[in-house]
Amino acid sequence: MHKFIFCLLTALMSFSLSAQERTFSMIKPAAVQEHHIGGIIDMIEKAHLSIAGLKMQRLSTEQAEAFYAEHKGKPFYNDLVKMMSSGPIVLMVIEGDGAVAKLREVVGSTDPKKANVGTIRATFGKSVGDNAIHASDSPESATREISFFFSEEEIAQ
Amino acid sequence: MKVERTLSIVKPDAVGRNHIGAIINMFEDAGLHLVAVKMLHLTKEQAEGFYAVHKERPFFKDLVSFMLTGPVLVMVLEGVNAINVNRDVMGATDPKKAAKGTIRHTFASGIEENAVHGSDSEANAKIEIEYFFKQNEICARTRGKAKSCCSCAH
Repeated sequence: MHKFIFCLLTALMSFSLSAQERTFSMIKPAAVQEHHIGGIIDMIEKAHLSIAGLKMQRLSTEQAEAFYAEHKGKPFYNDLVKMMSSGPIVLMVIEGDGAVAKLREVVGSTDPKKANVGTIRATFGKSVGDNAIHASDSPESATREISFFFSEEEIAQ
Repeated sequence: MKVERTLSIVKPDAVGRNHIGAIINMFEDAGLHLVAVKMLHLTKEQAEGFYAVHKERPFFKDLVSFMLTGPVLVMVLEGVNAINVNRDVMGATDPKKAAKGTIRHTFASGIEENAVHGSDSEANAKIEIEYFFKQNEICARTRGKAKSCCSCAH
């Protein structure tokens, strides 16, 4: 009996300790324009990730430049900034166990042609440049990217 | 055939069960486009103000407290006859009476926890949109050269 209670307590503790990680994602202008918002969010939710913050916005050139500052100087930088500020986008904070890695799995490879069948990019992406969605590449990037767009009050507790 | 805007809310029950994507999908499939959306946790004052027309009704208190149980998604939907199309896609207030394939038939658990809200008239759509959104938070559905809109607006 004691052993049972001990196991139960351990299980409860590990459950409460298991990290509800947060990650950041953006649905890019073409996918918004082509009415894939619902389809994309549905795939994220079906992977047992929850939306904890969400808003639609149109980025200014300056915002897009600042967001992608680490890519400044790379050949694709100007096109990327131009594309990301070409229409409204949907910004999201996504939450769940191992959310960063799990979201990247659901999103698929950067190049939609190489992305696994059933991933968001294989379904809705058109090219490396126009690949439907952005997802943070590490927990550190997630923290930085979330705070770039969201105040703590805008995220559901 | 008139392009209209209407206000839609995904209620705490549907948000809590991770049905946001499926519900937006049903709107988009019906030709309704999202031009503004944000997630927020309503305050008591916001919920009471939004439902003020129902203030004297017996269900008012329960409705307000239900709307505070978790975050909601407020959206502006745009499309031809958006107000009626939205109401068709949502289905009857009572999910038991809602037609098959409607949002409430698919996702609602009761007459109160009925997954979504939608404006019931052109006049109310205008009032409800203004209740939650500033004009500059509504995004024109254009790519390329930006119109003068939005936070959105550049």
